[in-house]
Amino acid sequence: MKRTLFLILTLALLLASCAAPVKRTDTVFAMDTVMELTVYGDEALLEDARDVITDMESRLSVTLEGSEINALNSHGSAALSPDTVKLLEGALELCALTGGALDITVYPLVRAWGFTTGEYRVPGEDEIAGLLERVDYNAVALGDGEARLPEGAMVDLGAVAKGYLDDAIAGLWREEGVKSGLLNLGGSVYALGGKPDGSAWRVGVRDPFGSGYLGVIEARDVAVVTSGGYERYFEQDGRTYWHILDPKTGFPADSGLSSVTVVGQEGLLCDGLSTALFVMGLDAATELWRGRTDFDLVLVTSGGEVYITDGLESVFSLSGSYKDKEVKVIRRG
Amino acid sequence: MAKTGTWVTIILVLLVLAIAASLFLRLRPAGGTIAEIYVDGRLERRVDLSGVTVPTRFTVETERGVNVILCEPGRIRVESADCPDKVCVDFGWLQDSAAPIVCLPHRLVIKLTGDAPIDAEVG
Repeated sequence: MKRTLFLILTLALLLASCAAPVKRTDTVFAMDTVMELTVYGDEALLEDARDVITDMESRLSVTLEGSEINALNSHGSAALSPDTVKLLEGALELCALTGGALDITVYPLVRAWGFTTGEYRVPGEDEIAGLLERVDYNAVALGDGEARLPEGAMVDLGAVAKGYLDDAIAGLWREEGVKSGLLNLGGSVYALGGKPDGSAWRVGVRDPFGSGYLGVIEARDVAVVTSGGYERYFEQDGRTYWHILDPKTGFPADSGLSSVTVVGQEGLLCDGLSTALFVMGLDAATELWRGRTDFDLVLVTSGGEVYITDGLESVFSLSGSYKDKEVKVIRRG
Repeated sequence: MAKTGTWVTIILVLLVLAIAASLFLRLRPAGGTIAEIYVDGRLERRVDLSGVTVPTRFTVETERGVNVILCEPGRIRVESADCPDKVCVDFGWLQDSAAPIVCLPHRLVIKLTGDAPIDAEVG
């Protein structure tokens, strides 16, 4: 009798200390950024995630010789693996949805401005006009596992790849039974489930005008992606030029927004839209949001006003020096 | 029967003590601020910033380049680096564990351990 009791209690003690999955973290340098992986579970989960990252980088990198996208850009056509086709299709849909505010063929211009190398320069008007002729996502022909580009055109999936990678890793982890994980792929975040204690993951939205964050989103099973001009920029003759270009003008987007954060279930959508809505501005972003139900927004204007869409009302809060500011809530009505 | 009762009491007391101890270990405030310096994802060095009394410099040299790290009581930053973009230097002082200092060209990351008010930062 007492032996049984002893055994049961010992077992209970053991179980109480072992039941919680172990927190595993890893840092990966890939796709020109740093990726922080957090997962509660086995070490093998991190390995699986690293495999997905390596595979995707080897297919999608613009600069890596032998990648599918590199081949497409250098030869004007290339055979694509089914997964790359899927991403390209998704990206082209987002280009259409945003009326070209996101354009995956803007790469020749990004290169001319030096944002790919860090050797920044302001291209001349003629040069920009010439390069703009090559920018048109409609000219990307996709079919039978092959893509074709017109002469001089180039594709860069950088504006959507990290969001797509969020989806791929989160999907894999879900299949493997993960209940709690957090991906931060160079500012493209995916919260899988909540934290093991049941609370939501707290994702800070960076203050575009200084260091630190202006507010916190309580995230659970959503992607959170921010685009802002402060991420990569240079100054010349007293003017600031940032890396998000308006595909229609070839110049840095100047829509009156300082940062756009998109929250939604699909990382690809959030990633692509954060760039596009930064280009489109407050009014056009609001209008696009009203026609959809699959994402929500935090918009910060260049004057420092903070707008959120009503789906975030219960999960967004200001912090730090923004605490006493007013949050303007955009509603559907 | 009385013996069994004694056993149960002893075990229950042990159980309560064990739970109390684990709660204490989990919930106690972090003892000071520890900065961790990673190169290419590997932990290179740990610095207890609460133990720093005078400004201290050290260099992290890798095959990719050199970062000079400056520690002051309770805080840390990259003072200079021979990387092309200087993003790590422009970052300034490290504030919390959710947004680490990153020198992408040198694959260097400096982060604070312990609980931050947020788990990740976007932007």
